[in-house]
Amino acid sequence: MLVAALREESAVRQTPESGAMVRLLTCGSVDDGKSTLIGRLLWDAAAVAEDQRAAVMQASQNRAHNGEKVDFSLLLDGLQAEREQGITIDIAWRYFETQQRRFVIIDAPGHEQYTRNMATGASHADVAILLVDARHGAKRQTRRHAAICNLVGIKNVILAVNKMDLIDWSEQRFRAIEAEFETMAASFGFTQIAAIPVAAPSGDNVMRRSSTMPWYVGPTLLDYLETIDVSVERSDAPFRMPVQLVLRDSDFRGYAGTVASGRIRPGDRIVDARSGLGASVRRIATMDGDPAFAGKGDAVVLELDTDLDISRGAVLSEATRRPINADVIEARLVWLAETPFDPEMGYLLRTATDLTPVTSMSISALIDFETLAAAPAHVCAVNDIADCRILLGRPTALDLFADLPATGNFVLVNAVDGATVAGGVITWAQAGASAVGDNVLVLDRELLARGLCSDLGDSPADLAEFHRRAQEAAILLRSVGIPVLIEI
Amino acid sequence: MTALVSHLKLLEAESIHIFREAAAQFRSPVLLYSIGKDSTVLLHLARKAFWPAKPPFPLLHIDTTWKFREMIAFRDRTAKEFGLDLIVHTNHDGLARGINPFDHPPSVYTDIMKTQALRAALDAGGFDAAFGGARRDEEASRAKERVFSFRAAGHRWEPRLQRPEMWTLLNGRLGKGETVRVFPLSNWTEGDIWRYIALEKLDVVPLYYAATRPVVARGDQLIMVDDERIKLEPGQKPEMRKVRFRTLGCWPLTAAVESDASDIDAVVTETLRSKISERAGRLIDHDQAGAMEMKKREGYF
Repeated sequence: MLVAALREESAVRQTPESGAMVRLLTCGSVDDGKSTLIGRLLWDAAAVAEDQRAAVMQASQNRAHNGEKVDFSLLLDGLQAEREQGITIDIAWRYFETQQRRFVIIDAPGHEQYTRNMATGASHADVAILLVDARHGAKRQTRRHAAICNLVGIKNVILAVNKMDLIDWSEQRFRAIEAEFETMAASFGFTQIAAIPVAAPSGDNVMRRSSTMPWYVGPTLLDYLETIDVSVERSDAPFRMPVQLVLRDSDFRGYAGTVASGRIRPGDRIVDARSGLGASVRRIATMDGDPAFAGKGDAVVLELDTDLDISRGAVLSEATRRPINADVIEARLVWLAETPFDPEMGYLLRTATDLTPVTSMSISALIDFETLAAAPAHVCAVNDIADCRILLGRPTALDLFADLPATGNFVLVNAVDGATVAGGVITWAQAGASAVGDNVLVLDRELLARGLCSDLGDSPADLAEFHRRAQEAAILLRSVGIPVLIEI
Repeated sequence: MTALVSHLKLLEAESIHIFREAAAQFRSPVLLYSIGKDSTVLLHLARKAFWPAKPPFPLLHIDTTWKFREMIAFRDRTAKEFGLDLIVHTNHDGLARGINPFDHPPSVYTDIMKTQALRAALDAGGFDAAFGGARRDEEASRAKERVFSFRAAGHRWEPRLQRPEMWTLLNGRLGKGETVRVFPLSNWTEGDIWRYIALEKLDVVPLYYAATRPVVARGDQLIMVDDERIKLEPGQKPEMRKVRFRTLGCWPLTAAVESDASDIDAVVTETLRSKISERAGRLIDHDQAGAMEMKKREGYF
């Protein structure tokens, strides 16, 4: 019966529903009782298996943690190094479901030295729980967490005021913290903010309605999570599909990708934003048959009526509202790498499916977490949030993040070792700025093969060495002020 | 519990996206096919990702020679049905040295017959990326795994080497000597796997369904007698019981559970109601706290 019901449901549904799965970021520090809150949520929502429950009970006894009976935080600390230090360094992913929804918990570390981890976790979330200790209220850390959530595009925020038991369940104190936070968050782009008073160890207002706080009539944390609307896309959003790869099979040729925004139907006109070439959609192909339309989040293959001769990196879009074919952008980013920004280093801009060499890049400002103001700066290191300007080696199809997040974000890649050094959102972009001027030295394959790399063949190892030498040569040239573009 | 399925299409689309990103960025990928339910879903998603073309990579199975016979039959049938290249690799050196799951501790046996064999097979094939069916809900150290999990030379997993992954952007640019394990099922749970198998009507190894099978008790776990290599304690005799498997590995190391769930509907219901975590039936994870993390550092999946 169960499976029959489930098949019936799938038969009527054509595209993924964004509300079916909610990705939930939890930010706060160990001191705020974050791990305990999430542990409690999992424990109450029955997402913890019995052998795990037994293991947690056993470990709790061994540690006699704070004299509490069960240490819920033990459910969460994964890596050995973290267990030993008693802190959460990396992002941990947890899963649970209720009758209503499937949840993904993204558990990110709270301390300032882990801003990058939090930003990474936040980029996947639909909703963020900002946890504060009721005794201290919203701190500098809360402001920073809110700023990071705002940066990566989170629209729904829950302020969980924890440890209410330690302030005698005081409504007055709770309302003060709520008001303080709303003032702080006014400058951000959050569309929904909810404040909920909780006590994690006892479970008050986590899943079970608190009898000690009768003055609070709002939803419990779990009630709220089960009903929150997480759809963010406007119904008239323009169509975008970054091409991942071209699929060929005998006489079939189609463009595979995930719809980043908007909708597409057979017969619709689309254009390749970079070349400006247009075509009509002949069919939307999937192994399950050809759907009548495809929407945001659908992984599909588009077959066109004319061959556009495009490849990975192209962005298929609706004909009227197109992406910007930019060669200069401004962006706000979070620096993720241990090694600071270096203007002489070679970087690549990774957008949805494109990888574009950066001709030059400069930092213009750093964000001060105390005031949230941008202060002029030229350097940027790990955990910094900075504003920057990037000149691209060739025009790249992209959007402003505020308009279309999925085609307006990027990561910055170190061209030598491949490391992901920063993640950012595009705040301004312009086409035709001609970043590649007369004074840019273009290192192309022929130039390099003639001398520096004349000893190298076609093997994968030789090609890797070819790229390495090109990057090293570019670093030397940039260090004496010569702008370099690698085209190999 | 619940028959929630509306999120399965979201998970499916996410996995297809990951498959395509990896195929586009890596020179020579391979799909690590371990025949179990997760591999079944993994392979189905790979077929969807590249349809109407075939997946542009072969399957690789690490055969310890201790897999259930039904698994091997299922593997060969599957590769043939979908017309896919299947590479089977066995550590013949370990075999010659008599390494087996009865006489050697699970950690030693697993290292030689699985981890070392996998490393050798990946090196021999020159593969720079290997798809695996690991899920983050399986075990604590898996909960922090990336979708693109980078390995240093020698296939070592180092926490510090792992790259931050923001939004749906997957950076597959390799550094010197690096290879990648790709996990398209990262965000799936055991319950999702079974509901998807039901939804898509996928064939799985019959061992997942309850049937009367010969088993012996070892401690509080039931081990199925799959062939004559079983080592019985004095006076011990296999008895017939109605059992099934929640997870499939080497038969002497994979415990059966007593169950009446003999079809997919019953398995879905039982899985969603289960109160014992999936890997409790895996004997190799119980050696010590953090066992999985240490195995991963050595190059295990």
